Amino acid sequence: MSTQSLQTSLPLESVPRRSGFPMHIAVFLAPAVIVYSVFSIYPLIDTIRLSFYAGDQAGIRHFVGWGNFRTLLADPAWSGQFWNALRNNLVFFAIHMVVQNGIGLGLAMLLSLPRLTGGSVYRTLIFLPTMLSVVIIGFIWQLILNPLWGIAPSLLKAVGLGSLFGPWLGQESTALVTISLISVWQFVGIPMMLIYAALINIPDDLLDAATVDGAGPFSVFWFVRLPLILPTLGVVSILTFVANFNAFDLIYAVKGALAGPNFSTDILGTFFYRTFFGYQLQVGSPTMGATVATAMLVVILIGVMIYLFGVQRRLQRHTF
Amino acid sequence: MADVSLHGLAKSFGPVDILRDIDLTVEDGEFVVFVGPSGCGKSTLLRIIAGLENVSAGEIRIGGRRVNELPPADRKIAMVFQSYALYPHMSVYKNMAFGLKFAKTDRAEADRRVRQAAEILQLTPYLNRKPRELSGGQRQRVAIGRAIVRNPSVFLFDEPLSNLDAALRINTRLEIAKLHRELGATMIYVTHDQVEAMTLASKIVVLNHGRVEQVGAPLDLYHHPSNLFVAGFIGSPRMNFIKGEVRSVTESRVTIGFAGAEAVFEGAVVRLAPGDPVTVGIRPEHMAEQGSDAIPLTGRIDAVERLGEASYVYMKLASGDDVVARIPGDMETNPGDGFTARFTPRALHVFDAEGRSVRSAKAL
Amino acid sequence: MNRSIRPGRIAVHLALVLYTVIAIGPILLIVINSFKTRRAIFADPLGFPDARTFTTIGFDQVFAKSDFGLYFFNSLTVTIVSLALIVLIGAMAAWALTEYRFPGNTILTLYLAIGIMVPIRLGSVSILRMMVELNLVNTLTALILVYVAQGLPLAILILGEFIQQIPKDLRDAARCDGVSEYRIFASIILPLIRPAIATVAVFTMVPIWNDLWFPLILSPGDGKQTITLGVQQFIGQYVTDWNAVLASLTLAIAPVLVLYVFFSRYLVRGLTAGAVK
Repeated sequence: MSTQSLQTSLPLESVPRRSGFPMHIAVFLAPAVIVYSVFSIYPLIDTIRLSFYAGDQAGIRHFVGWGNFRTLLADPAWSGQFWNALRNNLVFFAIHMVVQNGIGLGLAMLLSLPRLTGGSVYRTLIFLPTMLSVVIIGFIWQLILNPLWGIAPSLLKAVGLGSLFGPWLGQESTALVTISLISVWQFVGIPMMLIYAALINIPDDLLDAATVDGAGPFSVFWFVRLPLILPTLGVVSILTFVANFNAFDLIYAVKGALAGPNFSTDILGTFFYRTFFGYQLQVGSPTMGATVATAMLVVILIGVMIYLFGVQRRLQRHTF
Repeated sequence: MADVSLHGLAKSFGPVDILRDIDLTVEDGEFVVFVGPSGCGKSTLLRIIAGLENVSAGEIRIGGRRVNELPPADRKIAMVFQSYALYPHMSVYKNMAFGLKFAKTDRAEADRRVRQAAEILQLTPYLNRKPRELSGGQRQRVAIGRAIVRNPSVFLFDEPLSNLDAALRINTRLEIAKLHRELGATMIYVTHDQVEAMTLASKIVVLNHGRVEQVGAPLDLYHHPSNLFVAGFIGSPRMNFIKGEVRSVTESRVTIGFAGAEAVFEGAVVRLAPGDPVTVGIRPEHMAEQGSDAIPLTGRIDAVERLGEASYVYMKLASGDDVVARIPGDMETNPGDGFTARFTPRALHVFDAEGRSVRSAKAL
Repeated sequence: MNRSIRPGRIAVHLALVLYTVIAIGPILLIVINSFKTRRAIFADPLGFPDARTFTTIGFDQVFAKSDFGLYFFNSLTVTIVSLALIVLIGAMAAWALTEYRFPGNTILTLYLAIGIMVPIRLGSVSILRMMVELNLVNTLTALILVYVAQGLPLAILILGEFIQQIPKDLRDAARCDGVSEYRIFASIILPLIRPAIATVAVFTMVPIWNDLWFPLILSPGDGKQTITLGVQQFIGQYVTDWNAVLASLTLAIAPVLVLYVFFSRYLVRGLTAGAVK
């Protein structure tokens, strides 16, 4: 063993010191752990803590236990909006799961066909909206769907569906679905890419074997490809869930903090923002904001737990 | 069971010709091996027979029936892949039964076939396991079982032993040979390993750059290679090739000079004229003749490899040619020593300037 | 494969082309129209600008009335600095976690993994309070700190997987030579994980660049807006000026578009590589 040491102050890894924690490990870990703990974990815990307090007119905070939560869930002044936001968020999520992940799956399947000419061009172009800021997306679609400009109605008229058009973004009954679809339009690229990667990871031999075994294209998909990408579908689902219940930017950009018309596009993220910062008629309340945030955290955690223990356990990741 | 015949087969991927003008027949029950170096087109040929690739020209018949337009499932073939291609999410049982589902075989019959195949391949204790729980050799047997279960007319093997370690390869090779004897099925087997070809085949097809170089029984190819390529491909270590020249030609004998020696053959040999350049081929195992008519070639030893049962002596002849000689048993000599290899003219192969065989070794 | 696939393939391409049009159509629409006069925008929205209808007045407005260059610079700074820190600090942590065995290794790994699933936004109430106390409101530093904290868990996961694939022999050989752990990390590990950086970049840069939430909460003013926030504010202000609105959108899209055209291959490769994890 060479006796040279480039850093004389540091002990060689091969000569372990029983006393004390190896310094270099701490040095490597410290920055990440510190930044993460201070700016990620601590705020979360602090927010949860804050949700157990209420501030009065003078700004003094006192402990109220579950009071804020009771208010949130049951007090008419708050609960109406909370449950509405939760319900809308679920609709938002459902639309994403079905439309976004459905189209993503479909596109991934098409793109993973063997010897597809121009595959990478398609992938690059279809992924483009995902790269753009949600603000931009929101405004682009607002402009397109704007009756004044007339693009959407004239395009629909061209395919004979002109009568379907309406001020979808402005109508209470259609606003949420419309905005959900805009969000789907933007993010289809992600499940598409993730599922595509999983599909091309399946060795061609396996698909050939299935073909020789007599499976037609649909059977090959159903019996071979789909089961092998289930873990990826699981990941896509939970990512969609977390992203959707954390969503805010698009609605805020298109509808503002009030998420109108009449809160029909209000989801938990916008509700949180409004509660925290306040809006025209109501002063912002950090403690109620914290409460909403904690409620969101619970919802997300429930989803993650269900995924980790209910779903992921069952899904076997097959390496090739 | 069925025969397979290929007529005028050609295959190109865009501007690249993979296969050219292939005419072959595989008789019913034969074990035919397609052998050749990487890139010679043998795997493509197999996939074409299977129906996994289209042909650019030509016709394929299985059991007398033209199958060009038929998908793999309708050709009554089964394939064993190099990577086994087992469905990782299905048990061994399901892996083997998978194809039967599409053949609309009823449950009882399918079950019977799977269990029978498992019995033959000693897989019965593993029927409920998943592929990842099995060893390489076991997986290969499952792949073979999956093929057996389909009761195909033709079995297609695509380098099935390449992923196995040496000992396992030999065992599985024996099992495949045994399988052929038991089932009497038509089998087409692709490999780059000429040992597998020699031991398994009833007929070998040597391919090079998309063309058939020679077709014949293993020993036929060994004793009578029709060109330089086949001569150099079959037999390990490779045949020694030495450049030589025709010294004289008469009606009844030919004299060839090479490596500072001369060999004389009886019998007429067509196409050779004095002065023609030729390539002389002698197999390493024929370089240790003890007989009195043996012709010596002297040189210096570059290296010796001792395997116990034989020694391989790599030497540089006085003429500058490099040759290998296989000497049975141990050898005391060492690199740097002088050495004399001996051969008889009967062991010579002679190839003309285009590499075609002009004379093969007589049976020794 | 049989020849009957041919007509099927046409349908496949049809579907793909259709969706591609849906995907990039709206974007093209905006860009095209940002160069047209107001009248042309309304009269012929789907047409290209010609000599008569071409104009850049929208862009002039944008540059006159807003600090676009500044916003772009802010976004660039925040994104690049955050990425650099995430990669460096993340690699260090990933290295420590995967290489050394020490008590608490597993717990620490799990601790850091929580951040992947749980969104940092929920702690915004406290984060804002902290930034106020640290006097970091309306600074880029606040954004950087938050984004680094947000991006670390996933980066550590990705980099950790990658580091594990580096042959052990390399590190053992260096240790035999008496090289210090720091040196091993800096000279051997860091250069070798360059491919993984592309993956990390994809998963972190885009969300940072496009984020509206934290710029809105932490740095909404004082010239510290990011481009996303800047565009949102601008449009809010000049919503009836179609030329200006379209121009600002185009300007916001342009840098991303340019980068994407150049780096799409790496981005896609990074995404598909990381996806398998």
